[in-house]
Amino acid sequence: MHALEEIRRVLVPNGILIDLRPLADNWRVEVVSLREIRRTGRVEDLPEQTNGDIASNEAMKEVEKRGWFKRGQDELFPFFYSWDTPSEMEEFVDDDWSDFVGMEEDTRRATRAAWAVADADSRVRIGVEIWLARWQKTKLNLGL
Amino acid sequence: MSLQKDLDHNEIKHLRKFVDLTDKRVLEIGCGEGRLTWQYARDARSVLAIDLDRDSLRVARVDRPADLENQIHFANANSEHLPFSKEKFDIAILAWSL
Repeated sequence: MHALEEIRRVLVPNGILIDLRPLADNWRVEVVSLREIRRTGRVEDLPEQTNGDIASNEAMKEVEKRGWFKRGQDELFPFFYSWDTPSEMEEFVDDDWSDFVGMEEDTRRATRAAWAVADADSRVRIGVEIWLARWQKTKLNLGL
Repeated sequence: MSLQKDLDHNEIKHLRKFVDLTDKRVLEIGCGEGRLTWQYARDARSVLAIDLDRDSLRVARVDRPADLENQIHFANANSEHLPFSKEKFDIAILAWSL
């Protein structure tokens, strides 16, 4: 909450706050070529990831309740991480994401199998849902 | 590693749809290595991009396009104690950092 209070302080009156972040949503794994998209499984969310989403959402609700910011439009859009091969994807997931997501063996196997018979231009990708929300600093001076 | 992020440029497309950055003073919180920063900075009047990770900031400073040297400034700062005076920015972007 203190960060949001600080952001409010440094914004001009009616200034805009953009909240842009990935949501835990069992991100999808796909093998993709120009010709087709084959879904091969999902990345499993670990509690750290979902708890992070809950905490962030609670913080923004509190900000709205306190009248610091007024909620504007919001939407979800896809963001893809892509690799040339399944092994590169697995290495990245295991090395860089192991604190907050996991990948089951079934998904790994299905992805390798799909990639092995896919078109030559195929890549492997993980689709993440990104939350984008616009907030406006309120005109009220609440002593901040 | 062959990792590529957001080949479709969805992130910048959606950001531009939500906010007009033209001639604005922008504070980006959680800039990392500047992946998003480079994509919108030319629209803005100025960008102050902060992150807690010094290694990421080092990469961002090295990767900063030459024509943006005077437009983008990086700082190692905590969003809970922003080292700026009040009402200094038009737009704040929490970039994957809330």
